[in-house]
Parts: sequence; C-alpha cells; structure tokens
Amino acid sequence: MEVDTFLMDGKEYPADESRTVLEVARENGIDIPTLCYHKSLPPYGACRLCLVEVLWGDRSRLYTACTYPAWGGMVVWTASEKVLKARRLILELLLAEAPASPEIRELARRYGVERTRFRAGRKGAENRCILCGLCARICQDVLGVGAIGFKGRGDRREICTPFEQLSEECATCGSCPAICPTGAIRLESISPHSPRPIPSEFDAGLTSRPCIYIPFPQAAPNKPVIDRSNCMHYKFGSCTICQDACPAQAVDYGQQDEIVEEEVGAIVVATGYQLLSKDCYGEYGYGLYPDVIDSLQFERLLSASGPTGGEIRRPSDGKIPQTVVFIQCVGSRDPSKGISYCSKICCMYTAKHTMLYKHKVHDGQAYVFYMDIRSGGKNYEEFVRRAVEEDGAIYLRGRVSRIFEREGKLVVKGADTISGASVEIEADLVVLASAMIPQPGIERLAQKLGVSYDQYRFLSEAHPKLRPVETNSAGIFLAGACQAPKDIPEAVAQGSAAASKALGLFSSEELTREPIVAVVDEESCVGCFYCQKVCPYGAVEVKEIRNREGELIKTVASVNKGVCQGCGACVATCRSNSVDLEGFRDEQIYAEINAL
Amino acid sequence: MNNDGKGKRFESIGQFLAFQQELISSRDPKRRLVLVCRGTSCLYANKSDRIVEAAKREIEKRGMAGQVEVKATGCLGFCEQGPIVLIRPQGIFYPRVKEKDVPRIVEESVLQGRAVEELLYTDPSTGTKVVYEGEIPFYRKQMPLVFGHNKEIDPKNIDDYIAIGGYKALARVLSEMTPEQVIDIVKASGLRGRGGGGFPTGRKWESCRKAKGERKFVICNADEGDPGAYMDRSLLEGNPHSVLEGMIIGAFAIGCEEGFIYVRQEYPLAVEHFRMALQQAEERGLLGENILGTGMKFRVKIARGGGAFVCGESTALMASIEGKPGEPRAKHIHTVERGLWDLPTNLNNVETWANVPLIINRGADWYASLGTEKSKGTKIFSLVGKVNNTGLVEVPMGITLREIIYDIGGGIKEGKRFKAVQTGGPSGGCVPESLIDLPVDFERLTEAGSMMGSGGMIVMDEENCMVDIARYFTGFLKDESCGKCTTCREGLVQMYAILTEITEGKGTEEDLSTLEDLCWLIAEGSLCQLGGSAPNPVLSTLRYFRSEYEAHVRDKRCPAGVCKALVRYYIDQDKCTGCTLCLKRCPQGAIEGERKQVHRIVPEKCVKCGICREVCNFGAVVRE
Repeated sequence: MEVDTFLMDGKEYPADESRTVLEVARENGIDIPTLCYHKSLPPYGACRLCLVEVLWGDRSRLYTACTYPAWGGMVVWTASEKVLKARRLILELLLAEAPASPEIRELARRYGVERTRFRAGRKGAENRCILCGLCARICQDVLGVGAIGFKGRGDRREICTPFEQLSEECATCGSCPAICPTGAIRLESISPHSPRPIPSEFDAGLTSRPCIYIPFPQAAPNKPVIDRSNCMHYKFGSCTICQDACPAQAVDYGQQDEIVEEEVGAIVVATGYQLLSKDCYGEYGYGLYPDVIDSLQFERLLSASGPTGGEIRRPSDGKIPQTVVFIQCVGSRDPSKGISYCSKICCMYTAKHTMLYKHKVHDGQAYVFYMDIRSGGKNYEEFVRRAVEEDGAIYLRGRVSRIFEREGKLVVKGADTISGASVEIEADLVVLASAMIPQPGIERLAQKLGVSYDQYRFLSEAHPKLRPVETNSAGIFLAGACQAPKDIPEAVAQGSAAASKALGLFSSEELTREPIVAVVDEESCVGCFYCQKVCPYGAVEVKEIRNREGELIKTVASVNKGVCQGCGACVATCRSNSVDLEGFRDEQIYAEINAL
Repeated sequence: MNNDGKGKRFESIGQFLAFQQELISSRDPKRRLVLVCRGTSCLYANKSDRIVEAAKREIEKRGMAGQVEVKATGCLGFCEQGPIVLIRPQGIFYPRVKEKDVPRIVEESVLQGRAVEELLYTDPSTGTKVVYEGEIPFYRKQMPLVFGHNKEIDPKNIDDYIAIGGYKALARVLSEMTPEQVIDIVKASGLRGRGGGGFPTGRKWESCRKAKGERKFVICNADEGDPGAYMDRSLLEGNPHSVLEGMIIGAFAIGCEEGFIYVRQEYPLAVEHFRMALQQAEERGLLGENILGTGMKFRVKIARGGGAFVCGESTALMASIEGKPGEPRAKHIHTVERGLWDLPTNLNNVETWANVPLIINRGADWYASLGTEKSKGTKIFSLVGKVNNTGLVEVPMGITLREIIYDIGGGIKEGKRFKAVQTGGPSGGCVPESLIDLPVDFERLTEAGSMMGSGGMIVMDEENCMVDIARYFTGFLKDESCGKCTTCREGLVQMYAILTEITEGKGTEEDLSTLEDLCWLIAEGSLCQLGGSAPNPVLSTLRYFRSEYEAHVRDKRCPAGVCKALVRYYIDQDKCTGCTLCLKRCPQGAIEGERKQVHRIVPEKCVKCGICREVCNFGAVVRE
C-alpha cells in the first residue's frame, strides 16, 4: 500500500516524490547544513554534508538530503548520532582540505569540531576550494557559458579553465565568486579581463551594485529593478537565479517598460543637477587616482547609509585619511575651462565637510583651497568661521595647479596668494567641489514643456522677482536646482512654493485666467495650423466641425484658453486673419484709433 | 568455405539454420588444426603472430596448406605459460613456444601426431611431462562454459562462431519465444551480474522492459579497470560474437533497438575484434535492420573509454557515453528507468552477456543446477599474484578458494606460505588463510568482507605486508576516485596518508581508530559503489591482520619485511664466509669487508633493496 506521509525527526510530513528531503526540511525550519547545494541548480550530492539517516523498516542508511526524494513510508532523522558522526568527520576532512576557509572553520565549530586529525595542506595552506562544483555548475547549467569546469579526477581534481588558459568565454559576470561557499574563486585566474563592476548610482560609484537592486533606500515603490543591459538573463537567456531565490515568485522577466498617459493640469519640474565633468581639470587626476573624489562621493562617505557606514575611509585602500584637501571652484567661475557662474553652494558644503571630517577623524587635518568665500545667508558666515576657528580647517586662498601621487600620498601643489608662497600638501584624500550644472537632456524636456532655458541650460522662470517658480507656460512650475544652483533651504522653499501654486489651481471650481487670449474665427480658418507651429505654449489644438449627421465638414484651429498666454504670435502668423486677441481685436484697435 | 567471415545475408531463420547445419557437417572434427594463442599479452609481449606465420610457412613448405589449418585464437587462459600452441585433433599442448620450436612441432606433431617431449609442459607438483591439454591440472578443475570456446574459434571469423552453434540461441529466441519468455528463462537460470554487483539479470531486464520511454538502450560494460583483471578483454578478443549474441537477445527481451558497448581505449585488439564482429553480423543479417527476416531492428555502437576506473560504474559510464565527465549520480534513480540520456537503459557486463546464449541453448534448469544456492553458473577469475599458475580460470560458483589456488593455481610460488587472497579488484578485500575453504560465491565473499567484483584474484604469500597491500589499493582508489564526493576523495587521500605513515613507522595507535572512522564514513557516506566499497582493502586487512598493523605502529616492525623504513639488514657473523658476493652486488656500496673475512652492512648507506639477501648463498644476510 502506498503511504502518503513520511516521518522526519519524529514529525509527520506529506510525501512528495517530486521534492527532496532537504526542501521539505528547510521549509519546516529543520536545519541541514549544505555546501554544494543551491536552489537554482540541480542537486549534486558532492559535499555529503547534508547526509541524513533514512530508515526503511530496520534498514538504516545515510543519504544526501539534497538528492533523496521525500518518499512515503520512510523514517528520516536529520541529526541522529550517526548523522552527526558523519558530519563531524566530513568537517574534519574539509578542514584539512581547505585550511584557509573561515566559512568551513565556522561550520565545523558549530558541530563542535575545533581541530582535524587529518593531514592538512595537501593543496596548500591557502586552499579554500572544497570542489563543491557550484562555480562550474552555475557557469554551465545556469549561464550556459562553461568557462570553468573540473579537471582531473581523484585527488588531482581541481577547478580550472580549459587548458588552464585564461578564458575569453568568461563574461566576468561574477556568478562564480558569488556562489562559492568558501570564497575560493578569483576571477583573475579565469578571465583575462578584469571584471567591470556596475557602479552604484546611489553611492556615486564608490561601490558596485548587482543587476537586480533597489535603486536607493527610500525608493518608491521600494521594489527591486533589473538592469537589463547587464543582466545575464537578458544576455544569455538562461540565468534565473533571482527568480528561483524569490519566495514570493515576484520576478517576472517578461515585464516591459510602459508609457503611461495621464491628463494633468500642472507639472512641477524638479530634475535637479549634476556635477560638471572633471575632465576639464585633468591635472587634478580625477579618475586616475582613486583617492581624488568629488563632493558627492564624499557626501556618501559621510552618510551613515553610505558604503562605509559613515566612517571616512578612502576608496583605494580603506584607510582613514589623516590629511584631506578640499578644492573649491572646480569648474565654477572659470569661463576658460568650466562655467562662468558661481555654483553657490560649494563654499558652504565644503565648510560642512571639513567640520564633519574633523568630528569623525579627530586628529585629521582639512585644507581648503578657495577663491573667495561666499557665505551670504543667515548664519552662513558664522558657520564658515566655526569651521576655521573651532574645527581647525586651514583655508588657503589660491588655486591648485596639479595633483600627483608620490609614495602612496597625493601631492597637492597650489598657491597661497595671501602669503604669496607656493604650497605643497601631502594628502590622503582630495575632494573636488565641482561645479553644478543642469541634468543632461534637460533641453529636450524644456522644449517638450514649452519652457525656456538660459545659456547654461538652467530652466527660466516667468519673472525673476515676481514669478520665480512659474514658467511662461501655464501650469508648469519649477522647483530646485533645475532653475539655478541653489542650496537645500532655497530648494525646499521653491519646492513648497511650486506645490502651493499647483494646489492653488484646485482652490476654485473654475480656472481664472487673464482674459487676453487668442480666439479663432472658425468660419474663415482654413485649417493650415501655422498658428499651432508658432505657439510657444502649445495652446493651439485641432478642432473638428461636423454636421448634424456627424460628417466631418472641416478642421479648424482652436485655442485652449487655460494655456494661452496672449502673446499674439498666432495672430501675426495667421494668413487668413482668422485669429485675434480677445479684447485687442483688429476692429477694436481700429475703433480706438478712429475715436482719436 | 571461405575464411574471412564474409558471406551471404540470411533472409530468414530457416535459411540461417540450414546454413549452420551445413557448416557444422562440413567441418571434420578430426581435421588437423594448429591453434595459436593471440590474446593481447601473447600477441604483444610474446609476438605470437610470428608463431602463426612460422606455422603457416612450415605447413606450406610441406605442401599441407589445404589439409592443415592454422588458427589464431583468443586468449587460452594459461597466460603464465604463453604463448600456447594446441595441436588438434590430439589436443597436444605446448607452452611458451618460441618461433624456433615451430618447425619441430609442425614436423612431429602436425604431420605425425607425436608430441615433442622436451617442449611439453611439466607439472611443477609432480615434475612429470604432460602431453594433452585436458590433463594439465590448471585446466582439469575448470568448467570453461563461456571462456572455453576461445580455443575453438578464430575471433575474426563469424563462421567459426556459427560452426560451434553460435547465433542458434538468437534464432531460437526469434522463432519460438516471446520477450517475456526470454526474461523468464533468464530469471529462472539465476544469472547474476558478473560485473560485481551481482544483481539478478532477469529482474533487471524485466524492469527495463516495463519502464516507459521513447527509446531504450542496452549497454555492454567492457570498461574493465581492475588492475590485473582481464577476463572481459579476453572474452571480447577471443569470442566477440558470444557477447554480441547475448546483447541481441537482451535487446529482443527488453524491446530496444540501440545498444552501446563501452570499452576501454587501452583494449585496441578487443575493439578491433568487436568492430569486425559487428560488421560481419550486420552483413549476415544478424544485426541491423530486419534481423533474420523477423523485422527486429538492433544496432550497436562502440563507445571508447578514456581509461578512468570510475567509468566502469554504470551511471558514470552512461555520463561518459553522453560526453559528460564520468561521474556517478545518486543511485535511487534506477538506470533501467532513467539511464542513458534519461531513457530506460539496461547495462550488463561482458561476461553476463556472454552467459546469455548459453542459458538459452541449454536451458534455465541446467544453468541453475550449476553453482550454489544463490549464485548460479560459472565465473571467470583472473588468478594472479604469488601463485604458480597464473591466468584466467573459469570455475563453477561455490568452488573453494583452496581448489582455485592449489588445484588450479598449483599452489604458492617457491613453496612459500599462503597468506591471503585479494578478490574483487582494488575495492575488494583480503581473505585470509583461515578462510581458504570458503566457497566462492557472491554472498560468502561479501560476508568475508570482500566481494566478487569482476573476478580479480590476487594471491599473496608470507612476504606480502598487508598494511602495504592496503596502502597500495587505497592509493589506486584515491587516484581513480572521480573526486566528486568529499568522503571518497578526501577520505581516501587521508586514509592513504595515514597508511603511508604507518608503513614508514610514523603511525600511532590512534591512527588505527582514525582509519576505522574513515572506513565507516567512506562506506556509509559516499554516493556510488566505488566509494561504498573503497574501504574494503583496509577494513578486511584490519579485520584479519590487525596484529600486523599493531606490529607496525607499536613495535615499529614490519613482520613481512616489506616496509623499508621498518626493516634492517645485517650480516650474521657466524654464517658469513667472506665470499664478497654481496659486496660486489650492492648497488650502494653499503657493504664493507675483506675477502675471507666477515662482512658488515653500513646502515647509513643501505637502501634496503634486499639484493644482498637474495644473492647470499649461505643465508648470512638477515632481514628483521
């Protein structure tokens, strides 16, 4: 008779031949250690660590839980004396095989194995590999690449590339080091190319991120996204590791980007800024020396949610820098190399940086090269003075000419124009306060929205004094640094203002507008739509005129009164004289003239 | 009748049987034949091809070419005495024949039917000359049902096989029987897998027949990897058609159309002969499409193994055929249901397949009457080691070790004392002298801590150190483990390291218990049977020769005098005559002394090669 349950550690579970003992055990919180098992790969049964005792009647045998089906009628013990004895012996063998693996040591300790009786170091005291084959199997079975595999048999078995040559097949995807349970895999021994980590956008490139990631901690929705241009699934069509790992089965590779259309009455543009490329200051060695970073990267180093958990450690070797040089106006106020405007916020944030640095590294010394200190604003000047006087930042008025590396230090050569001496500082870290520029592609957005922009591509407000958050297009508001460099209080103020402007639109049933808008004489309009082309605000729409039977008689231009700003461009353009400004019709003007 | 195996295709069973009848009656049992062993060792090591050529030349010279046939056969079993020449119809047996002996043999024996006295075999136990093959003790106790046909046929000629009743079993199966009946006969015969597992063949066939799959396969496992064992090779070389016939019958019973033979790359002659057999059988309509006009289809492909011992394991073998690394997989998925390419697959060993035609021809009852209660039929063993007559022996199951070693094997070389016999290949165990009357069958060998394996039998005498033997086999297994399981790969490495230390005198008593722990783990915790049986050499020697281990670890002494680090050579002052022989022969110059004066061995220089002890005529060199 078929038995539809089996006993595991004294409890009854439903039998299911299509599942393994390990799967059932893990689902029910029974801990069975594994090394060569991975959910995304077919079970392999090589490490033998997951051995469990299976009783069929009186006959007791050890089987690997990762391969043994959950058959009905059997009795399984996952931690019997026999199982534990086998596991301890296996751990002793593994300790001897991979003496350098802390993971194995830790696992062994969990089973009370502190030392091994066996002869260690057959494959060297530095060996970590336990030949579980996960790396080779993921490369072959999941990615379909097969850049590494087993060579030899018996005690000569090892993981290597074909012919032990660096493999051009390897995509340096990093799956093998990621899946290796003992940290034994080094990509340098597999591929001739060094892996290209995907820089984390949120950490300003200080760390790398996987292909599936949550863009930043407070992202809304707080859900992972897949970076399709790097994802191995989209590259090779095979890998489904994230899907296998997701207990909610939420990963859907078939999802497509979609275009969402919404009708709205107001748009707030808050596209922010970016830093000017450091290419124009090649002499500062940004990109060449890992310890020359920009202010946004330094900001991430200071952040408790940053890559170093808020500790200031330099990117090259993770050491705490004892001397930090801050350089202001990298690109700002420099029409010959950068931009001619002042980025406005660098003086203040650099002062903040020096202070925070001092608070975290008490014996550290900050130097600041500056042109002028622009600390206009409430308490701003006092703040800068505090950085100098209380936190000991040394401000040097002058420019830096060159940065180069010497014996592990960055040598910053500059001028101190106050003393008239040239200065050379041996720094551990250099922070560049690069100029603020608008986001790339903002022109296209501006053109789409009918918003004008200045020579630096910052968006233009309708009036610099009286309408600072509005644009010339009705219903489109600006917030933050897309309009001009500004610091946080200003950006917050502008954002609040833009929000209340948008909210103001909801305050009455009807929209109140200036009455001076264009109107189209539908009788004489010939539907050439020249007016539509010249309207800077996108106010001209197409209107269809139909008879009672619903047949189309003609198409004419029609002006959206909520959007029209009454500029009159259409009036001047119309060839059939069919557009007029309400209140300033030709007849009205003539009548006024005639009345004189 | 032509001699190259070419001939007409048989279109029906009747046509085949008529041809066979005609062939048998056309062959005069009294015709004169010179049979020359052309098995691998005789062919390559002893150049038996030259003997064949010389015999043909001599016969031609005497104008007898039409009347006397020279046949190059497969291995004749008594390899110790190779190359062997047999003269028919008398059955005169000549061992260790040299090319220069051929004219005399042809002149005397072939032409005149007389034996050449001085070339005859001398029975070492009685010192008398033996003329006829059947009187040689080595052959007398054997029951060569499967292997015996080697001496009747030229393996390259299908007609030779047909003439001894070959393919008759196939014809019978195809004309009279249903697949179920074939399976029933095989089941009733009690035939068990000869590759080592001993699984009942009929039951395996039945499961495979019942398994569902688009295609099914039969495989012949000819990946014979045990050191010193060569029964399968000799069968394939000497009688490939018997294996093929078994496979075709199996394919009929199971209902499959495709077969593979997985044979070692190191067996070129076996591959050549089997390939010829395939080709001839296909030409004659015994293989391929529409076999003997019955509509049955069956083809066999040869897959050559790269020489990994583990590929003899069924699942590793299948992985290897698929082009993957030869690694075994978990056993709870039966290969009869999901084997090669996950399709139902029936794998049997060479010898098992060769037994099948025999069972069909002579009936299940007859076969079941041979052997013991649970092990039926005969088994071919490769008898090697410190025994006088080495070679392949086929004996009924249940024969005692004593009969094999003393009656067939002629006892231990140089009259030394028998110590143990290692059976079942490298992962078998050592059976001690106390169990010499053990009947040889699957169960009894397993009970004794060894196994049947594929039939290796290595005889050891008092000068074999059992620790060293265990170390040797463990070393072999450590090299040949596929390396997948931690237990087998690392366990064997550690076991080998410990055994090496023991033989070097660095072992401790704790090591013995560590060895026992490792044996338990490897046997219990490994994936396949290679791992499961790998501790046998250590376990069985620990069981029967523990005192020898203890002598190594406690007293730092090797009782057999094998472990160099533990022995010491010195010269007995009372016996040394100062003949200087040892002094002259010592390769290290480690012996000092003047003529007619007592010599002395300088321990610092001595490498313990033992030459001095061998050359001393007075027994003055002592090893302890």
